[in-house]
Amino acid sequence: MAKSDDGIRILQGLLVFGNVIIGMCGIALTAECIFFVSDPHGLYPLLEATENDDIYAAAWIGIFVGFALFALSVLGIIGVIKANRTLLLVYLILMLITFAFEMASCITAATHRDFLTPNLFLKQMLERYKKSETDNNNDKWMTEGVTKTWDKLMLQNQCCGVRGPSDWQEYTSAFRLTYNDADFPWPHNCCVMDARGSPVNLDGCKLGVPGYYNSNGCYDAISGPMNTHAWGVAWFGFAILCWTFCVLLGTMFYWSRIEY
Amino acid sequence: MCSHWVLLAFCCLGQLCADQSLKPQIAAPHLATNNPTLTTVALEKPFCMFDSSLSPNKSYVIYLYAMKESASAISSLVTDNNSKPLNSTFQQTNGGQRGPYKAALFNVPNCASPPKLADVGDVNKVSDVLKQYLFRVGDDGTCLYDPNFLAVCNPPLAPDTTYRFKYVLVDSTEGMMKDQTIWSDPVKTRRVKLPLKIDTWPGRRSGGMIVITSILSVLVFLLLAGFLASVSSAVTVSEDPSAEIRRMSRTIQQSEPRPQLSSE
Repeated sequence: MAKSDDGIRILQGLLVFGNVIIGMCGIALTAECIFFVSDPHGLYPLLEATENDDIYAAAWIGIFVGFALFALSVLGIIGVIKANRTLLLVYLILMLITFAFEMASCITAATHRDFLTPNLFLKQMLERYKKSETDNNNDKWMTEGVTKTWDKLMLQNQCCGVRGPSDWQEYTSAFRLTYNDADFPWPHNCCVMDARGSPVNLDGCKLGVPGYYNSNGCYDAISGPMNTHAWGVAWFGFAILCWTFCVLLGTMFYWSRIEY
Repeated sequence: MCSHWVLLAFCCLGQLCADQSLKPQIAAPHLATNNPTLTTVALEKPFCMFDSSLSPNKSYVIYLYAMKESASAISSLVTDNNSKPLNSTFQQTNGGQRGPYKAALFNVPNCASPPKLADVGDVNKVSDVLKQYLFRVGDDGTCLYDPNFLAVCNPPLAPDTTYRFKYVLVDSTEGMMKDQTIWSDPVKTRRVKLPLKIDTWPGRRSGGMIVITSILSVLVFLLLAGFLASVSSAVTVSEDPSAEIRRMSRTIQQSEPRPQLSSE
């Protein structure tokens, strides 16, 4: 009996430790997902306009799953220490449900990250940036979001277009319908700005003289934060789930061995 | 080669003729990287092209003529019968379709001290350097619709069209043509694509997504299998009261009495 006593003590200790880690990871997941949902880089309007904002949905699920993991880990610790079968059964069932939700969140984040290609943002920028005639309120909202976001992106990151300023020259766009090519080969935000926010030399910018216009594309500035967001949700969630899997298997084994 | 020399010899016999090798050039591509655009073309000003024809006491002006390449079949003359340069406008020639139109008028660029292109790096000098070095055909988007506009109108060109340009040296007092370059090489303005045609399909799935999906699916399956196995083993044991399966006992809560083994 002493050996199985020791054995059960060790198993209990391991399960408590496992649940403590799950609790801490749950809080970390909640905090990380709140950070991503708060959109520190202001890129959400771009995703909203592509109607492909599911990495945000994955982050929202992550917030609630993280909190649920924390609460369930507390329940699990109590159940393991008291060796109460009912509590542990409740714990197991709720953990399985939480596991399923977190799995959905990880897969959604990973899958939808694949859709965010340069061509997607290029098409959206050309069709919506400074579009003057919007069809309805939804269109107007998305157009304003895209315009403001791109203006801010181009100014803050000193970039132009998705792959470069040639995007504005190679394709026709909603911008081109309102602003003629002679005065605006590309938006004025693509020009190098002085301290007061106006172009240093407008002719130099229009002609493409090096040093007076931003020749690099904004795709890196967009994809960097989005990659961090998507991979942060997907891979951290995946790591938590791998750990939770082991703890749950141990708990099932423990549950099946204790008596009422 | 021989005929070339003969031609030059004839020309130098006092006839007004264009130098065979001098023609308008596009502005240096390392300087004006966005050239030609959809509706504009930036040309180098004619530096040192007309120096042999300049007299010291007279004042000269340079006219720039532009025409669509298709118009050369109709007419490519820039002067009338009396060697007076034509005053055709953009509207009169239908944007250069029926013949050349006068796009600009400026002073003869200084051959002795041309602008230093390296000065474009200096913010204070860049405007002057650009103004002295090149001229942008198609720069003015408003002069066509402005009834008060009296100067030479330089409206935007048509996209995806080939144009040719010519410089003409004019004596400003007499108003007569003194010299001209030949027509430039054809320059085509840009052509645009529709954004509808952009393909936004992402292609194949990334490796990370496949790893996450497959491994998580396997884990969920194993968890469900384990859960069902433990529940079914619990149900089987509890339905068999005479089984002597030893169970690990509770160690912490010893004050509570042992409950009876009851069927679930």
